[in-house]
Amino acid sequence: MPQIVLENLSKRFGGVEVLRAVSLSIEKGEFTVFVGPSGCGKSTLLRCIAGLEEITSGTLTLGGKRMNDVDPAERGLAMVFQSYALYPHMTVAENMSFGLRMAHRPKAEIDAKVAKAAQILQLEPLLARKPAALSGGQRQRVAIGRAIVRDPEVFLFDEPLSNLDAELRVQTRVEIAKLHQTLGNTIIYVTHDQTEAMTLADKIVVLRAGKIEQVGSPMDLYNDPDNAFVAGFIGSPRMNFLTAVVTEAGLRLGEVAAPLPPLSTRLRPGETLQLGIRPEHLDQTTGIRMPATVEVVERLGSTTFVHCCLDSGEAVVAEQRETSARPGTKLDLYFDIARARLFDKAGARLR
Amino acid sequence: MAIRSMREKWLLRTAAVPMALLALSCIYPVFFTVNNALKDNKGYILNRFGIVKDPSVQNFIDAWSRAHLGEYLFNSVTVTLGAVVLLLLTSSLAGFALAMLRFPYRRVLFIVILASLMIPVQVVLVPFYRTMLGLGLVNTRIGLILAYTAFFLPFCVYLMTAFYSRLPRELVEAARMDGATLLQIWWNVMVPMGRPALLTLGILNTLYCWNDVLISLLVLQKERTVMVGIAALRGEYTTNVPLLCAGIALAAAPIIAIYVFFQRQIVDGIAVGAVKG
Repeated sequence: MPQIVLENLSKRFGGVEVLRAVSLSIEKGEFTVFVGPSGCGKSTLLRCIAGLEEITSGTLTLGGKRMNDVDPAERGLAMVFQSYALYPHMTVAENMSFGLRMAHRPKAEIDAKVAKAAQILQLEPLLARKPAALSGGQRQRVAIGRAIVRDPEVFLFDEPLSNLDAELRVQTRVEIAKLHQTLGNTIIYVTHDQTEAMTLADKIVVLRAGKIEQVGSPMDLYNDPDNAFVAGFIGSPRMNFLTAVVTEAGLRLGEVAAPLPPLSTRLRPGETLQLGIRPEHLDQTTGIRMPATVEVVERLGSTTFVHCCLDSGEAVVAEQRETSARPGTKLDLYFDIARARLFDKAGARLR
Repeated sequence: MAIRSMREKWLLRTAAVPMALLALSCIYPVFFTVNNALKDNKGYILNRFGIVKDPSVQNFIDAWSRAHLGEYLFNSVTVTLGAVVLLLLTSSLAGFALAMLRFPYRRVLFIVILASLMIPVQVVLVPFYRTMLGLGLVNTRIGLILAYTAFFLPFCVYLMTAFYSRLPRELVEAARMDGATLLQIWWNVMVPMGRPALLTLGILNTLYCWNDVLISLLVLQKERTVMVGIAALRGEYTTNVPLLCAGIALAAAPIIAIYVFFQRQIVDGIAVGAVKG
């Protein structure tokens, strides 16, 4: 039985519908990431699960029990906030033990739990400090510690890394992944960063404008997106989209002719489609040739991103491990049509 | 300090003159009071502005016992303390609710409270007095405590709401996730976080309550608070000025002591609030 089930969950703020009939189930121990652009409702969805927002309609079930109207503290959840929300007037130990003290737990139990969490997160030397005397990364760990101490069924993370600098973000990301392996709890994690989603998740939920666009494992979403939005959102740099016109012989991309990949959908000649091709799939020496002009070359050491302009005027990014391309020169890009993904004008995937 | 040009130096010196005069005009009454409180009545009549020659504390003793200032001071302390504690408790509770919680007509309620800030005390004196009579609160210290609380509460609620609105709502949400009840959140999170504002309000309200004559005169008619007691030291035809001065000095002393003592804490309090935690 799935641990968390959402059925047709909707949320309105006045006249604005922020979540529209979201249905989803999450298994025990799964690391689920809600991802989407800002304003897509991912944080609201998390807050509805946490009980910080009332659910307008639909049901939320945790561990088989309907939880729509249950107090946040009694849902067996712990949450790590984007701003950490540490109590500035309490020490690290007091911050971590706050929930247990409010529940009037025995002192020995509180001390033992705080000590254990502090050991897991390497916070022992900081227990007597106040949050103001901690670095961003340390505050982040205290916020996680406060969640661990409560021994919850489910951890909720609301964009926990967005206040950290780039290097610390990568480091903390790994720490969270390790923590999930150690504790084995169910985790729901909200982010707008697709890299975080790809690296951490067992299951990614892509949201747009209050609706789920696709649910699946990171590689499923990457290789087999349901629509142009998911295809464009997952992957960095993003997928290149080119306008393709259906002809009797296959497809025409500007002046370039290409065969049609095997599809179950029947296409009418003259129809306009979007052809999506990922940058790393433009690193071929055979296949369909597209002449282009190099505009910018970004060398990252391990790989190089070549920003080009096709003869049709469309901009594309190609990832090429070994290239001697220079801005202003001509370059032939090759790709395998089997790697390309086709979408109709509205963005729905054609299979 | 940056090096200033001659022109700026002159400007500063010129500005210093009116400022010194202003300071003097504030300090002189204090000097006058203390100086004359130490004279006897004859000494005062013979030499009003001269510095006291043979200082005596007899006026203070007289004011304390014969003019009952001792009893009045006790009344003032009780009433001020009671009103300030009640004000701080209610305003931090109300500020917490208005700033952090969501309930219907929250904005309307806040506007009504703000509107009551605009009504001067004098306008409502008659209905206020009738209400106090009806409730049997005239001539009771509780009555005066409630009256002060009622009159000063709108401002306190306004200030606490404004202060709490600037705190992140996530603090309250985190405490809710931690299983704290609303009252626990208020006591363990909001009161400690609100310390700078509560300290400021504590000082301001102590001053208001202590210095008030009008409301006190209406409510406590048999007993008196110290400010009313001092006012009563002025006779219709003659006034024993040295005795009055001694009374004023006695009445002002606790307030000055509190102010001096808390001044550092106010500054500290503001600094605590300024640092992002």
